[in-house]
Amino acid sequence: MRNHPSPPGSISRRALLTGTAAAAGVGLAGCGSITGGLSGRTRVKQWNLLAGGDGAIMTEMHGDFSAEHPDVELQATTFGWGTPFYTRLVMGASSGNASDIATIHLSRLKSLSPGTLMDPIGVDELKDHGLNPEDFPEKIWEKAFADDELYAIPLDTHALVNYYNKDVCGQVGALNPDGTLLVTDGVEEYFDLLRAVKEVTGEFGTSLDTFGGWRQFWAWYRQQDGEMTFADGDYEMDDDKALAAIEIMYKMAEEGLCPTFADGGQCSANFETGAAGLVQVGNWEINRFKLFNPDNPEWFSMTEMPSFYNGNRYTQGDCHSFVLPRHNSWDPDVREAALEYAAYMLQHSFRWGEGGGHTPAYLPVTESAEYQALQPNAEYSGVVQNVQFDPDAWFSGSAARLFDETGSIFNQVYALAMTPEDALALMKERIETLLALPSPVD
Amino acid sequence: MTVKTEAPPVPAAMTRPPQANAKKTSWTGLWFVLPFAAFYALFLVYPTFLGLYYSFTDKSLTGRAASWIGLENWAEAFGDERAWAALKNTAVFTLWSTPILVILAIVFALLVHRARKMGWFLRMAFFAPFVVPVSVVTMVWTWIYQPDGGLLNHYLQLFGIQDASTPQIWLQGENGIAMWSVVITTVWWTLGFNFLLYLAALQTIDPNVYEASSIDGANWWQQLRSITLPLLNRTTAMVITLQLIASLRIFDQMYIMTGGGPNRETEVAIHYIYIAGFEGFRIGYASALSYVLFVLILVVSVFQFRLFSRKED
Amino acid sequence: MTAVQERAAAAASAPPAVRRRRFKKPTVGAVIVYVAATALAILWLLPLLWALSTSLKAETEASLGQDIHWWPRDWSIEGYRILLERGDHLTWMLNSTIVSTIVTVLTLVLCTLAAYGFSRFDFPAKNIIFGAIIAGLMVPAQALIIPLFDLVNALHMGGTYWGLALPQVVAPVMVFILKRFFDAIPRDYEEAAKLDGAGHLRILWNVILPVSGPIMAAVGIFTFIGSWNNFLWPMLIATDPSMMTLPVGLQAVAGGYGLFYAQTMASAVIGAAPLLIIFLIFQKRIVEGVAGVGLK
Repeated sequence: MRNHPSPPGSISRRALLTGTAAAAGVGLAGCGSITGGLSGRTRVKQWNLLAGGDGAIMTEMHGDFSAEHPDVELQATTFGWGTPFYTRLVMGASSGNASDIATIHLSRLKSLSPGTLMDPIGVDELKDHGLNPEDFPEKIWEKAFADDELYAIPLDTHALVNYYNKDVCGQVGALNPDGTLLVTDGVEEYFDLLRAVKEVTGEFGTSLDTFGGWRQFWAWYRQQDGEMTFADGDYEMDDDKALAAIEIMYKMAEEGLCPTFADGGQCSANFETGAAGLVQVGNWEINRFKLFNPDNPEWFSMTEMPSFYNGNRYTQGDCHSFVLPRHNSWDPDVREAALEYAAYMLQHSFRWGEGGGHTPAYLPVTESAEYQALQPNAEYSGVVQNVQFDPDAWFSGSAARLFDETGSIFNQVYALAMTPEDALALMKERIETLLALPSPVD
Repeated sequence: MTVKTEAPPVPAAMTRPPQANAKKTSWTGLWFVLPFAAFYALFLVYPTFLGLYYSFTDKSLTGRAASWIGLENWAEAFGDERAWAALKNTAVFTLWSTPILVILAIVFALLVHRARKMGWFLRMAFFAPFVVPVSVVTMVWTWIYQPDGGLLNHYLQLFGIQDASTPQIWLQGENGIAMWSVVITTVWWTLGFNFLLYLAALQTIDPNVYEASSIDGANWWQQLRSITLPLLNRTTAMVITLQLIASLRIFDQMYIMTGGGPNRETEVAIHYIYIAGFEGFRIGYASALSYVLFVLILVVSVFQFRLFSRKED
Repeated sequence: MTAVQERAAAAASAPPAVRRRRFKKPTVGAVIVYVAATALAILWLLPLLWALSTSLKAETEASLGQDIHWWPRDWSIEGYRILLERGDHLTWMLNSTIVSTIVTVLTLVLCTLAAYGFSRFDFPAKNIIFGAIIAGLMVPAQALIIPLFDLVNALHMGGTYWGLALPQVVAPVMVFILKRFFDAIPRDYEEAAKLDGAGHLRILWNVILPVSGPIMAAVGIFTFIGSWNNFLWPMLIATDPSMMTLPVGLQAVAGGYGLFYAQTMASAVIGAAPLLIIFLIFQKRIVEGVAGVGLK
């Protein structure tokens, strides 16, 4: 009681080093003795939210990194996607107990109060690791700054895309001679396609994640060139266009063209089991679908989102990026190793694109002939131009409150438990509530 | 050896005369009490006041400088519909779960009391879930509740109660379905404790009482109503107060299983405090919300305390 | 104060159980009772059995869309193998053991000392201190998470075993229970020991504790279960996976097995196992603890 012994934390770390390293999914399982991990290696803790098919690719890349950097011990942990991850990141950073490096969505940078919770990154530091500002698309590079300080290292661009089952779509004559999906124009044309596919599958036309309705909403709202801006406690939104986007959800579910209820896992399972011939979901599921049928990984292909309005193939998307959570004090070796890790991941992001489906942000990779020839990635490469980032506000961005709260409304719309009109009214109410809150990050 | 315990209520304790001859005022006793008192002051008394202080500031989890904002948080809390809805949901959970947790516990206890030869197995079966961590409970039940291919819907369909083409959505089910799902899980998880309390109470009832009334021609049901249940009154009062307090603090199951959905139907008080403070970074506001809940729990606890400190004779 | 401690308090004030043996011929009513009780008990065990069954299936056999069957066709311990190889669960189990042990030992030591002090001595401000501690019975720890989180981090105990354990040690109810018990122990023994020149600590150790076995066990068991299963506080304070306790780690770390049901259920079984095994071994003691036999 009288004198505090040193925190037992150190004991466990020693005893369990090997265990946790393997635990983190680095693929070191079974190698090394219990104490083998302590032999002077620099430990880098990484937190990520990649619980989907792309997470497996990241783990694989971590294995490669570890093999090439025997002096670095990488401990990566995957937390539940979205709010649980961000809450943990912020709580950890606020007490100085977060990881050394973490993946975030670039749209969330400002909501993470980078000034107090993240550590800025020197552009020179990046150059030392072979990363230069001109290696990134300008639009994305600018988003990595807050208050004129660089806080994030963009890894990719990702977006909702349209996957199609080649066999099913072939049966309904929806494929071009070269085997790609026919381009449709307008909601009705696409619904006709879904009706035809539904005939074949006997269940749905397309599958989608009814819990992630914000993504679909934002894509369809933006395709109508709808604007949404927040400023000074007020906001602008085009009600008619918003209602039109929500009505698409309702009608699609009502007619049985899509499921009324499907979380991320169920959404993709519907496509795999053939309950749906198409699925509108993020490009990150590419690995999962390839693995589903290893004998014929080309049973499906992917293209951009269909145009519902104005010939726009806009889609909702974001960028995974690395940040350095605030440290009470940095061990220079750890910081060095963390940045080396980030640089490695970017420079090897061909695999990230091939396996994870994401479009690498690192231009030397994206512009390489090898990447340009990659299929089916080339088929949806246009998403980078068509991607629509979430509106700018402290409560907006991937898994932020606007995303979550409207998502739970849209979930009810898909379930046919709420009419589009009610949903729109509730959505506006939620937005007004959010606007009335004092910003906790200013 | 049955102990006659004296459990004086607070005021009595404060004014109680020094006991008997053995005691003399000295500093010795303080040394025994001091270690606990130090912990108590640091981890309970101090945070209580710290929280009160925070509730008057706009303190943020992000660590930016906080400033005194007077009663703003409090005014916002009292006008916050979401906070009131969370309290209402907490009350709904309490009202739905408590009667089941009481009645089923009595039924189970009566059964086990009669079926003595299987006592070991039955006690094990009914109490075992209570020692399982909440994360495991929710993992297992979420798997059971899966709309497509979950165990529950499978059997409902097998017995023709449910149409296979319209599987019931449980954990995000509208109109109370989600809340009922959590209630069922909670009943399964925590019933064992109440059951054991009742079983213990039943075992103290003198069998001669029943034999006497059997001679008078009382049947099983009459005995239950006129003898057994009245003798269980005290246990029931205790179980209900415990249940009230546990329910006001409910968080884990909702946070893990439903995330407060659908449409915040299962968002409860502690969950909203967590959302406001940790997900929304608003430490100051969440502190004000905590105090509202704090006062409510205090009221129930005072009731509980009076019950505990009642003389046992 | 955790819910379990609340319950322990209730248990302690429950009337003691009396066991009787009666030999009777089975009647129709008795048969119905046995059948009903057995059916309910099996129903009650089904969720755990289903988890066990799923965990022992191959992943393809367990996944959604497959038909429901209880007996695995293709026995597989793959889920367990993957989890144990990753090692997370062992880390968390060790963390839970360390935290719960710290909490239990400190609770027993501090509460016993305090209860003995209140029971046997008069000292300045005694009534004020006791009154303040009794008032703590009514303070809900869950409503204190916000300031506690801040306090623990300010003390630089965020993400340490001490930060996880120490705030859980404050259990006024245990002081209350133990004091009531000590109050009821006759003083004659102590007088005898005093004449032999024993000090207060020696008296506590040699005279009081030997007759307090059952209640110490009850307090210890409930503190341990309560701490082992505590979720909210460790979730807030153990941000890094290497410091998580079992309930938190199981819930927080996705580990990519969200869609692998056999593996998820294997994880559940591993998570449930330690306390279930302890419960099965100490069943009698635990049940008696609840039933308040500890006070007898």
